[in-house]
Amino acid sequence: MKLRMIASALALSAALIGNVTLAPSATQAATLSGGFDVGPGGFQGNFNPLAATAGFTWLSVYFEPLVTYDDKLQKVVGVLADSYEVSPDQMTYTFKLADAKWHDGKPFTAKDAKFTMGLAMDAKSGSVLAARLKAVSSVEAPDDHTLIVKLSAPSASTLDTMTKVMMLPEHALASIPADQLAKNSWWSTSPIGTGPFKFTKYVTDQYVELAANTDYRGGKPALERVINRYFSNPAAAIAALRAGEIQFTYVDSNDVSTFKGDEAFKVIEGDSFVVNYLGFNHESPIWKDPRVRKAVMYAINRDAIIKSLYAGAAKPANCAYVADQLIPQGIDPYAYDPEKAKQLLDEAGWSQINGDKPITLLTYYTTPLATNVLAAVQAMLSQVGINVVPRAVDTPTYNSIVLNPKPDVAQFQLVYAGLQNGPDAGSINVGLNEKQIPPAGPNVVRARMPELNKALDAALAEPDAAKRDGRYQDVCKVMNSDLPWATLWVANRYGVVSSKVKDFIWTPAPGGGPYQAHPEKWSLGE
Amino acid sequence: MLLALSVLIFLLLRLTPGDPIDAYIDPNIPMSPEQLSELRSQLGLDRPLPVQYLAWLQQAVTGNLGFSIKRQDQPVLDLVLSRIGPTVLLMGSALVIAIIAGIVTGVISAVRRNSPVDLSFSVFALVGISSPAFLSALIGLYVFAVRLGWAPSGGMLTPGAEFSVADLLHHLILPAALLSIAQAALIMRYMRSSLLEVLNQDYVRTARAKGVKEFWVIAKHALRNALLPVVTVIGSTIGLAIGGAIFIESVFNWPGMGLLLVNAVETRDYPVIMGATLIIGACVIVVNLLTDITYAVIDPRIKVG
Repeated sequence: MKLRMIASALALSAALIGNVTLAPSATQAATLSGGFDVGPGGFQGNFNPLAATAGFTWLSVYFEPLVTYDDKLQKVVGVLADSYEVSPDQMTYTFKLADAKWHDGKPFTAKDAKFTMGLAMDAKSGSVLAARLKAVSSVEAPDDHTLIVKLSAPSASTLDTMTKVMMLPEHALASIPADQLAKNSWWSTSPIGTGPFKFTKYVTDQYVELAANTDYRGGKPALERVINRYFSNPAAAIAALRAGEIQFTYVDSNDVSTFKGDEAFKVIEGDSFVVNYLGFNHESPIWKDPRVRKAVMYAINRDAIIKSLYAGAAKPANCAYVADQLIPQGIDPYAYDPEKAKQLLDEAGWSQINGDKPITLLTYYTTPLATNVLAAVQAMLSQVGINVVPRAVDTPTYNSIVLNPKPDVAQFQLVYAGLQNGPDAGSINVGLNEKQIPPAGPNVVRARMPELNKALDAALAEPDAAKRDGRYQDVCKVMNSDLPWATLWVANRYGVVSSKVKDFIWTPAPGGGPYQAHPEKWSLGE
Repeated sequence: MLLALSVLIFLLLRLTPGDPIDAYIDPNIPMSPEQLSELRSQLGLDRPLPVQYLAWLQQAVTGNLGFSIKRQDQPVLDLVLSRIGPTVLLMGSALVIAIIAGIVTGVISAVRRNSPVDLSFSVFALVGISSPAFLSALIGLYVFAVRLGWAPSGGMLTPGAEFSVADLLHHLILPAALLSIAQAALIMRYMRSSLLEVLNQDYVRTARAKGVKEFWVIAKHALRNALLPVVTVIGSTIGLAIGGAIFIESVFNWPGMGLLLVNAVETRDYPVIMGATLIIGACVIVVNLLTDITYAVIDPRIKVG
């Protein structure tokens, strides 16, 4: 009797579960779901491109900038600008705009572009780009299809910054005062862009849904809908990917191996453009002697860590860069040599400088991979007599410690951190130039190296694009010999996409891009 | 009580390293000092602490809990209120599962004392009490959602699909069942020991001596008295359930108070943390009150006022 009851209850619940799973799948024929904001390039819950420090992979599915990177992140190409020209003195940028329409059917014109630039340059709007657009002296729209941006001094990173300026409709936003803009609900309820998909709805903390913009100037999108599911961590996104609920997500490198060789999935590998380093706090006296800093480089077996923890998918870095064109001839490769490290420490008198007193190694990386990396680093450094103690904290705690204008040096004698080193090679300036010492900027290691400042300034101000790589080679050379950081490596990052998805373009760009992903071409096969 | 709670949370938050602006800064993108101080003053973070607290309190008593810092376009009250429903649904379902499973297994264990059934229930209970919610959530997620595919891996509704109760239940069952484990285990243990104690009482012996059938002895005479301590435990497990719900909600991306709170702590979203803890605190007080009232209903010796 009892058994029969249990059996029928089980049968009933199985029937219920079975029914439910069948129902939604029929409606999702042309819907691509993904964890587009999972991982370091994502920014879940942010809908405002002016406030975006990341999340551009998703934002650029419905908003568009004038220019963007190609999918290899090598060159800047036009999006809403059909073409652009830079004057020989690098002071005037002229954008020729495409014939495009907003999602509500109104035409996109140079007036919209000028309006957007105004918001992006105004810190009151909450724009995080304002500081980077400081060099802009004027923005003009002589006709509906031309935008002219003039600078007060040449700035090699202007185009890079322009890729992050998503065009916004003047007719929808002009009536809102700039300082009230960030608080407006327009962003998450009824935003309009010019991209291949248009915003339909946001279900708080669950997902964002976009529908095809059938009038898209690049052709009608192949998919009917794109859904961006929110996850509180990459592991939850992987579970949803394996369960077939989503077709794409970012995946941490230590989880990638489980997808390799599985025909149901394709692994997408790409350059993270983030250089990882051990940053010496230059306000701590223990790192003053360059021989000590060199000893740290020699003491760490980077090849072994890359091979065993990154499964080979990282390149050792001997300055901030790993790209061939930025590496000069004859820099020191700092091959693993613990004996040499010990010898350098002896010469410098390490036992007097610090000896085996514990040195706090602060980091905001809390992934299992980072924990393993730091355990390995700790063991390797202890073999030569440097006793580091890793301490992992969350990002706000890390920032509050390292960005403090009056820092407590004992809390971070060493940091394990990452900094964007491309696609614009000038990105590293903020972490190393003396002018960027907090509170002015994020030079958290407080590097004060005149030669390095000079090299960085010269590279940023170089008007001739052909000579710029050479300037960055000079930066690399100084970094390699003076060691403001012990540079470690540039690792690859991964996304995993279902094999059913066709023509899908994704790359693990810093901050999520933007780059040319052509969402209108994405499609789902059988 | 709520006032004390709000002062405590306010102070604890300000002692936590890092403020909302620190959480917002990407080390890769520089922001000028003027820009940072403008953001801080817009949020009122540059004012002295007592002023900040009183300003918050003044608004809070009128029912205005301010705006979220991270989701700047959303008032805290709306944000928190919209999360109560999903959390109550999740915790309520878990509580119902836990009460039914806990009482049934507890009674069976007590009646079949020292039998293999009792032993296996007791082992389950021990494991259930000792497993932290995040562990059982992750194991449950892997086994039932990823491996077996019986339930979705997260969320409350299928994205893009029309709302249906069946879809909601389908998403609810796994997190609710996992959340109920620790509570069910605790209830089972109390039920078992309390019933065993009652079964040794004189009046139970009297009932048996009168020839009352064993089923009625337990159902009518013993169970009601044995339930008293269990009700207290159920009331006190609500706190446990809130803690567990925070983990379950983050693992399953259930859009409730727990997920809201975790996200808010990660971004140091002060107004949301204050608002959410205040509402949770109020809920705990109400639940304790309800427990006391239930107690009076079950135990005739206690009379309300």
